[in-house]
Amino acid sequence: MKNGLMLFLGLLAAMVIPWSAIVLGSAGELGHQAPYYDETDGVTYPLRQPGTATRGELVYRGLNCATCHTQQVRREEYGADVARGWGERQSVARDYVYRANPELGAFRIGPDLANLGGRKPTAPDTEDLYRLLYEGSGGMPSYAFLFDDRKIVGQRSDEALQLTGRHEAKPGYEIVPTAAARSLAAYLLSLNSTYAYPEAKPVVIKAGEGSK
Amino acid sequence: MTHASTSPADSAAPAADVTAVESAGRLPLLLLTGSAVAWLILSALLTLVGVLELVQPSFLSGCAFLSYGRVEAMAESAFIYGWVGNAGLAVVLWMLGRLSGEPLRAPNWMVGGASFWNFSLLCGLIGMGSGYATAVPFFQLPAFIVPIMLISYCAMAVPGVLAWIGRRRDLMFASQWYAVAALFLFPWIVAAAYVMLDKVPVQGVVQAVVGGWYAQSLWALWMAPMALAGAYYVVPRVTGRTLPAYDSALLGFWLLLVIGGFTAGRHLINGPVPAWVSSIAIVSTFLLIVHYVIVALNLRPSFGGGGTALKFIALGVFAYLIEGFVDAITSVRGVAVATQFTYFDLAQTELALYGGITLLLFGSIYFAVPRITGRPWPSAGLIRGHWALSVLGLIVSVGCLALAGLKQGADLNHASVAFASIFDDVHVWLVGATVGGMLLLLGNLLLALNLACSVKTMVCEELFSS
Amino acid sequence: MSVPPSDPRFDRAAASDDALLNAHEAAVGPQSNDRAHYPLRPLILLFVTSGFILFAATYLNRYAGQYDPTVFNENAAPSRGSEQAVKIDPVAMGKRLFNSGGACFTCHQPTGMGIPGVYPPLAGSEWAQGSPDRVIRILLAGLGGPITVEGKTFSTAQMPSFGASGFNWSDDKISQVLTYVRQEWGNKAGPITAEQVAAVRAVAGDHKTWTADELLQVK
Repeated sequence: MKNGLMLFLGLLAAMVIPWSAIVLGSAGELGHQAPYYDETDGVTYPLRQPGTATRGELVYRGLNCATCHTQQVRREEYGADVARGWGERQSVARDYVYRANPELGAFRIGPDLANLGGRKPTAPDTEDLYRLLYEGSGGMPSYAFLFDDRKIVGQRSDEALQLTGRHEAKPGYEIVPTAAARSLAAYLLSLNSTYAYPEAKPVVIKAGEGSK
Repeated sequence: MTHASTSPADSAAPAADVTAVESAGRLPLLLLTGSAVAWLILSALLTLVGVLELVQPSFLSGCAFLSYGRVEAMAESAFIYGWVGNAGLAVVLWMLGRLSGEPLRAPNWMVGGASFWNFSLLCGLIGMGSGYATAVPFFQLPAFIVPIMLISYCAMAVPGVLAWIGRRRDLMFASQWYAVAALFLFPWIVAAAYVMLDKVPVQGVVQAVVGGWYAQSLWALWMAPMALAGAYYVVPRVTGRTLPAYDSALLGFWLLLVIGGFTAGRHLINGPVPAWVSSIAIVSTFLLIVHYVIVALNLRPSFGGGGTALKFIALGVFAYLIEGFVDAITSVRGVAVATQFTYFDLAQTELALYGGITLLLFGSIYFAVPRITGRPWPSAGLIRGHWALSVLGLIVSVGCLALAGLKQGADLNHASVAFASIFDDVHVWLVGATVGGMLLLLGNLLLALNLACSVKTMVCEELFSS
Repeated sequence: MSVPPSDPRFDRAAASDDALLNAHEAAVGPQSNDRAHYPLRPLILLFVTSGFILFAATYLNRYAGQYDPTVFNENAAPSRGSEQAVKIDPVAMGKRLFNSGGACFTCHQPTGMGIPGVYPPLAGSEWAQGSPDRVIRILLAGLGGPITVEGKTFSTAQMPSFGASGFNWSDDKISQVLTYVRQEWGNKAGPITAEQVAAVRAVAGDHKTWTADELLQVK
């Protein structure tokens, strides 16, 4: 290749063509996706997170939880995500329209969290999450630095964790969640993708068609 | 096959193969190389901390700065922007200088750029430890350092672009295409991702598509070209023969650049993105096989051995080729269902970045540094040790992670397997991966020692001989 | 200093930079006319590349969901039609309607037991399981005044209209919620279709709030 200008223009084209096709194409299709209005319920889905949950998303990102946890449920016949109770249906783009960062994650060292707040039969409650964060479990490390181990002054705090065994607070001390832990728990419990959007309906495959 | 004319006189002694390029660019090139190896050590240490935390979750669990998520972000960024960035630029700028036939111009821009690049990357790492990582794979750099890294990169690229524009002979060798591609494409990719993710963030899941495009483009349009630029230069220079499939090299070059970007949805298979994004990625990984085959055909003279550089390049080419095939096979949806989200993906990334890119860069560095310093490497033992530890460490690390991933994937896809038991199932393989990581770290320490001795000898001899 | 040939500390270069560039020129520059045939390897590579492109085009034709942003399953058949839609289960839909904001459950309670003395129960109610025409009228226009359900009289509250003068529910919705009520909590009455609701709406759609006596006139 002799002509330097041709190389330069070729490089420009080599970057712009795939970027336009994939990135601009996706942005054009999904960049302004609106939430879905449900006539029966009279609300739009997905529901907006409360304020503490939005702060919790920053905690989630700051701790880089997406390194171990995904937030994308695969459809029922592809893997065991639905069978494990991680979600009722495949995650679709509309589930993430209000997220500052979709936090899809790329590894499942821990379970998927896309529908943590909507798990059936029961979603975990705040106490469960605090205990899990403080103690850790199996492959999950303990995030004790999200909690204050402080002397009880006057009455025991309402928010103090009820722990047993070797995690129990020393006598006269209580373990209380910090604002970071509280907002993180609020964020995790706001993760709910149960609503069945039209595009999330399972596809009926006629006999003879296979998947690749 | 034509034989290039050999010049025994200038190949018997390192000092004789030193051209005007090296005299002008010695300090900046050694600064880049030294920084690169330092970042490699740091990244290896951080990776080791990470895998130890995987094996034993209570390890350092009280330290927020080194919690697993943050350590992984730091290790990845130190590796990509610290090691690959510095080493790749060192190799690319040195090679462009040599092929231009002129001394490297604007070496001060290199020094300034490298200093700001490394300093801001260090600030970025501290930022990540403090919770400012962006959670975008391969682009964890906190938003506040990206502009200054962009400007530093452009400063470092200036001598390379000047060397290319001012080249004495009008034609362009394959290395020069790859090198120029890397110099120009990196700022464009980073700027596009920075705008679309930080400045004017796109909505929802489109961010994941931009992130995927960025990661794949970083690999195909920046890291691979820098490594290939060095390999395409070193192999014919050491063997003295033209590259065997050289007339296909141009096809391989353009295939990598154009098709590489289309693999954007490679890690979003059956995710919350429209099916077409991942379908295009799947067919593109298959089309890219042609590129990998062309590179292997061209660089196969390195398999004949003959010196340190060719040894490393040969293994690098082999890993690069294998990785290309594995990438295509695991992108098939029926296979991806079992390998997605598992340690197998991690093994693949390590094979690509360490087995492919890093080993190719090692080969180029082992060839280039004696010519930059004007004297051979101080210790043959350290070189042999580095080689052995790299091979062993790579096999153990990639192999154990791959096996862990296969077990994890099989377990994940059977709902009857309790999630908590998956950790126990893969534990032994993770311990193996830790051992592999330690071997790699040790090998890189040997390289660092060798480089430090080489530079020290050079400085002492020249200071005291003048 | 000179270095012996097989020393790993220095890789001797068998070619100079100029030699490299010369080799490039020889390989890609104008070729001699000695060769009367096309070289094989580039041809093979060309065919292989074309093969991959053909594979790509075929695969994308079938599995790219026609580049539609609402297609997340690559197996979705190209044509969009009624076979893609999952049939709506009227009982499930009716349950959602029953429990939706401000509707049935607020008075009749999610258990269908109502509140004694205030809101009549639906569980076991002879009205709910009775004539379809009556229940449809109750929903379309509401019910006021005393009503006796399961032997107990309720006279304090008034049932709002779910037809045009009130909640303005469609025929589908009214039929679904009635179908749900008529089979829930031990009720054993048949479903009601949207057509039945439409028929009643055509005849008695603009009636004012019914009383129990008026309804008992209806069969």
